[in-house]
Amino acid sequence: MTKELEHRFVTELESNQNIVHKVCSLYTNDRDAHNDLFQEITIQLWKAYPKFRGDSKFSTWMYRVALNTAITLYRKSKKRVQTQNYDSVIFKIKADEYDDTQEKQLKLMYNAVKQLGDIDKALVFLYLEDKDYAEISETLGITEGNARVKMNRIKNKLRTLLNP
Amino acid sequence: MAMDELELLKKDWQKKEGELPKLSYEEIYKMIWKKSSSIVKWIFYISIIEFVLPHLLYLLPSARSGFDMYNELGITNLFIGLSILQYAVVFYFIYQFYRRYREISVLDNAKQLTNNILRTRRTVKNYVIFSLSMILLIFAIIVFGIYSTDNLVAAFQLEGKALETSPEKLKFIFMVGMSIVGVLFTLLLGGIYFLLYGLLTRKLSKNHKELKKLEV
Repeated sequence: MTKELEHRFVTELESNQNIVHKVCSLYTNDRDAHNDLFQEITIQLWKAYPKFRGDSKFSTWMYRVALNTAITLYRKSKKRVQTQNYDSVIFKIKADEYDDTQEKQLKLMYNAVKQLGDIDKALVFLYLEDKDYAEISETLGITEGNARVKMNRIKNKLRTLLNP
Repeated sequence: MAMDELELLKKDWQKKEGELPKLSYEEIYKMIWKKSSSIVKWIFYISIIEFVLPHLLYLLPSARSGFDMYNELGITNLFIGLSILQYAVVFYFIYQFYRRYREISVLDNAKQLTNNILRTRRTVKNYVIFSLSMILLIFAIIVFGIYSTDNLVAAFQLEGKALETSPEKLKFIFMVGMSIVGVLFTLLLGGIYFLLYGLLTRKLSKNHKELKKLEV
């Protein structure tokens, strides 16, 4: 029974791991920290898995646990599982990929997003993931109206960062 | 503005999926057996230490010989009464801490989660404030005992030069000395504690404040 649960969990996480990687790349700055946070999110997901009823999609459920871990629970730690090497975490885009203006603009935007506070980042992340304001407000525990207001403020902030 | 910058970013973000790292089944499987190093774990262990530590002090031989001193100073009953009260309050705090700790769930929304963690931590903070006040109170009682006793020499097992000093002067010196030690001791413990408390909850408090701002 437990074996079956383990198998089901690992399989689901393996196929949905992109969500966790995206959260990690927003909230950490190097590969070690990325792996570290990934591990902590995995542990938290696993611990909470018995309470996952399947009445929502596994991926939806993952957003909440992953963001909560990144925003609230995560502390830097040394213990981690060695994972295969990968050269860079997403967004550290090679310079030559960015030659026209739009690409430069994008790079600046990624940098600007990474400079936001933990909560602002979570809002932007859910927005980029195409979540609606109902889900954003529910995940963060704020009202839908405030989520909208906040998002507009973040947009303005990004705009000023981009067009000084 | 022709196009919302964030819309542009969103398109690009979704294109980038392919560049993400990919962990194998085995790598993920190994991870689920690792120990969590979350802030909640840290708060839990540090809180336990904070609950237990003041009580370990009583196990020291010097603390036990302190009971003789209380006897001589005539404050034993007061001290025992106070201890009973103290343990009752300590158990209340531990119960409260445990209840709040159990309420912490990663499945809550971000605001509720930070709120629950901070509340748990606040229980321990109140406990520490209580403990520090008790320490101060005990020192105050000792000072009072010194003031009202007639056998200061026996209570502190004094010998030698101290016996030549006049009893009034000796009393005064001991009262002032004890007061200073009491206050310094409390300040030191409190300083260490609140430094630790601040370090552990800095990030939490910041994010909680941010979420609170969005509430109204």
